[in-house]
Amino acid sequence: MQHHEQIWLAREFNKYVPGLGNAILKLLRLPQQHNPWANFMVMEIIVLLVIVLLFAFLRPRLSVDRPGKLQHIFELIYNFVHGESEDAVGHGGAKYLPFFGTLFIFVLICNLIGIIPGFESPTIEPSVPAGCAIATFCYYNLVGLREQGVGKYLAHFAGPMPFLAPLMVPIELISHMARPLSLTVRLYANMYAGEQVTLVFLSLTYLAVPALFMGLHVFVSLLQAYIFMLLTMMYVSGAVSHEH
Amino acid sequence: MKTKLLLLVLALLALSSPIFAQGTGGSAASGVVNWVAITSGFSMAIASGLCGLAQAKAAAACAEGMGRNPGAAAAIRFALILSLVLIESLALYTFAVIFVKVV
Repeated sequence: MQHHEQIWLAREFNKYVPGLGNAILKLLRLPQQHNPWANFMVMEIIVLLVIVLLFAFLRPRLSVDRPGKLQHIFELIYNFVHGESEDAVGHGGAKYLPFFGTLFIFVLICNLIGIIPGFESPTIEPSVPAGCAIATFCYYNLVGLREQGVGKYLAHFAGPMPFLAPLMVPIELISHMARPLSLTVRLYANMYAGEQVTLVFLSLTYLAVPALFMGLHVFVSLLQAYIFMLLTMMYVSGAVSHEH
Repeated sequence: MKTKLLLLVLALLALSSPIFAQGTGGSAASGVVNWVAITSGFSMAIASGLCGLAQAKAAAACAEGMGRNPGAAAAIRFALILSLVLIESLALYTFAVIFVKVV
């Protein structure tokens, strides 16, 4: 569907370790390819390394008495995610904080890493947002099933009153199916459109105008990461809420 | 007034008969008309235009609400961001369809 040319990192991976890539493809029963390392796969590994190194760097520097700068930054991020989850999910919202925080930081760094020349956002390939959306879908359903029990969770698809069930069940099912689709398309299309718009203006003029669109792309990246996390929280809130 | 308008419209329709001369010429000439590109241009324009109207309404309601009740500005701003993103995603569905079916 889309043919991105290979970034230099993917070219290096394909030059030195194509066997590893093809072995993984064979493990997943996918056809072997000439260039097994796709751009988004390589970039996701880079994002993973960035996140792991960042937190490995942060952990020994955490201190109660004398917090450093990195600790302040991460306290800001933590308080932000914590506050949002308490607002969206309700009082016990912080239980689900690890998933929300991971999703937020992963999507944020995936989106922003494309700004660096030579790198490409993995989220411009539709499979990456699809993976995050499927993870969200499985997570909120599992959390709802665990919190309310199988019977009560399935019963809430029927709506507020039992005689409305034949009407409500198809509506609820369709709206639940539409959630991973809309999450995927929203994130993918925003990132892809931002990149394409920057490229179009780069081919028309240089310096100021593409930089403005790149700045807009940065703002949209932040916003889309926040919205992905917020919608996940709202779906979890819909799944676990019950009248106490 | 109404008869003048009717006569004007009829005259315009009659004067546009040269269009029929073009019909057979287009399909027999140098290649096929790229209907997919034309349609995708129109559909994206319609989607973006309606999305622009909807976002303008949301922004107008937000500005009015913040003006009436500055104390609730944080909550209104949150509702604004959420609604802008959800409306934007509707225009982006059209964009995604174009890039799935056209490119």
